[in-house]
Amino acid sequence: MATQTESQFSRYKEEFASFLTDTWIGYAFVIPAAILLAVVIGYPTLRGLYLAFFEVSLLNPEQMEFVGLQHFRALAADPIFKAALWHTVLLTALAVSFQYLLGLGLALALKEKVPGAGIFRSLSMVTWVMPIIVMVIIFRFMVQNGFGPVNIILDSFGMRTTYWFGEPGVAFPLIVLMHVWRNVPFYAISLLAAMNSIPKEQYEAARLDGAGPLERFRYVTLPQISYVSMIMIVLHVTFTFKNFDIVYLSTGGGPLGNTEVLATYVYKQAFEQYALGYGASIGVVMLILMLTFTIIYVKLEEVD
Amino acid sequence: MATSTDSDERNLTQRIDAWLDEDMSPRRAIGVYLVLGLYFAFLLLPVIYMVIVSFTSQEFLFSPELIPSLRDLTLANYETVLSRGDFRTYFYNSLIVATSTTLLVLSVGILAGYSMSRFDYPGRGGLLYAFLSTQMLPIVLILIPFYLLMFSLNLVDSLLGIVIAHSVIGIPLGTWLLKGYIDDIPESLDEAAKMDGCSHLSVLRRVIVPLAMPGIAVAGFYTFILSWNDYLLVSILSQTAGTRTLPFGLQLFQAQNTVAWNLLIAAAVITMAPVILLFAVAQRWVVEGLASGGMKGN
Repeated sequence: MATQTESQFSRYKEEFASFLTDTWIGYAFVIPAAILLAVVIGYPTLRGLYLAFFEVSLLNPEQMEFVGLQHFRALAADPIFKAALWHTVLLTALAVSFQYLLGLGLALALKEKVPGAGIFRSLSMVTWVMPIIVMVIIFRFMVQNGFGPVNIILDSFGMRTTYWFGEPGVAFPLIVLMHVWRNVPFYAISLLAAMNSIPKEQYEAARLDGAGPLERFRYVTLPQISYVSMIMIVLHVTFTFKNFDIVYLSTGGGPLGNTEVLATYVYKQAFEQYALGYGASIGVVMLILMLTFTIIYVKLEEVD
Repeated sequence: MATSTDSDERNLTQRIDAWLDEDMSPRRAIGVYLVLGLYFAFLLLPVIYMVIVSFTSQEFLFSPELIPSLRDLTLANYETVLSRGDFRTYFYNSLIVATSTTLLVLSVGILAGYSMSRFDYPGRGGLLYAFLSTQMLPIVLILIPFYLLMFSLNLVDSLLGIVIAHSVIGIPLGTWLLKGYIDDIPESLDEAAKMDGCSHLSVLRRVIVPLAMPGIAVAGFYTFILSWNDYLLVSILSQTAGTRTLPFGLQLFQAQNTVAWNLLIAAAVITMAPVILLFAVAQRWVVEGLASGGMKGN
């Protein structure tokens, strides 16, 4: 009896020891990544949230004055902030809608087994792979006045030519267009993969039940690509909402603030006006809006 | 009247259905090619046109002509750009930074992915969420404290600082992708290797890494382009020409008052060439990997 308990005890001890070592080895493997992220992302994030409640200048970041919610009250009365918020929301809504529709269209076209579809599938990813600055250079070149191809074509039809990024009313749609151009292939390839993983039998069964192609698309395809669609939409809403380079590198927020978005406004407040605290408070608003969107969207998707 | 519209409508739906139901008839193939042709014109024509223009003379580029003739073709733009010392420095810097970032993210990410896939410890799930939630942060929010931190660590205006900055952006998604691929490797293979006396590190080296190669290719590719393409972090951290990378160099070049478009376009083509070549090599895994990555959590 005693020996039995003893052997059981030693077995427990062994298991406990192996549990301990496994736990520790698990921690040891994850720690380099965790420490890098905690120090280089985690700490600056908390610090950024903290700064939003202080008056701080980039010229003298050591000197901080607590101002509570004053920055947030100032935001509510800041016309540039309100315009930038509206542009950001509109840009995100338009860009993601067009990306999804055009991506879905491309996925459906690529799903047809025509010769060459595979090559096109790979080629189209070029727009997603290239640096944003190269994309901006392509678009800016195309709309240069006098020698840009778009203006050469417009001119040959006797239409007005100008540097279109400098034209209020046109600059903003061009920003939307760049977002769409860049990301449509990524949507298409993800949606295509989701479509290809739907078992053929389901289509056959639907066909036997008398469902036409449009109904099969509605009742077989759409429900089964909804998870990938959700991932794509959440990913690109956050990407578009917080994107800085596309606007900053192409128009810098102009002409006359027509394309100013929250990300460029934060940057200008912090690095051009040296208003660190005010800039941080805009960043906090961005973060709250993105988190709210993601949580609501994921919850709605779960209910479905 | 109403009934006739109704039947017309039904008729139309039936005809669309019949058309969609057909197997690949020539007419249908033409329709598909027409759609693909429109996408091609929208997505690829601008890129192809830019590449062609990069091989033409300055006179042609600034002329109101759309199509170059053979006379206009020249390599002069590339000769000028490649002979510039500053451009070559930017190119080497980009290469060093993107390669180092990729190696760092892969080594740290494989360890973390292995840990999250194979070990069970308190906080594991929360840790993965914490990693992924960093993807939501607006970089502009953390830019200032981040700059001050790098300054106090003496990492401003150094390539190492840029590598660290790019790595932390790449680690979360890299770890998540690698974890997904490691999850797909049967655990019985690890157990068998451990029976043969392998330690965790040699299980990792002999079993996990070889079998997760497609995932490593995807994560590596993703990290490389993230680093190669970054403008914002480099523009904050690089303060002298010696630490500039290509995107930052291009931005300074295009922001000048009188832009030498022929040189700028050639420089842009050189800047995108490495990532496109890399994509051409890795696309077999990358296209499928990115596509299936989104479905892993399903």
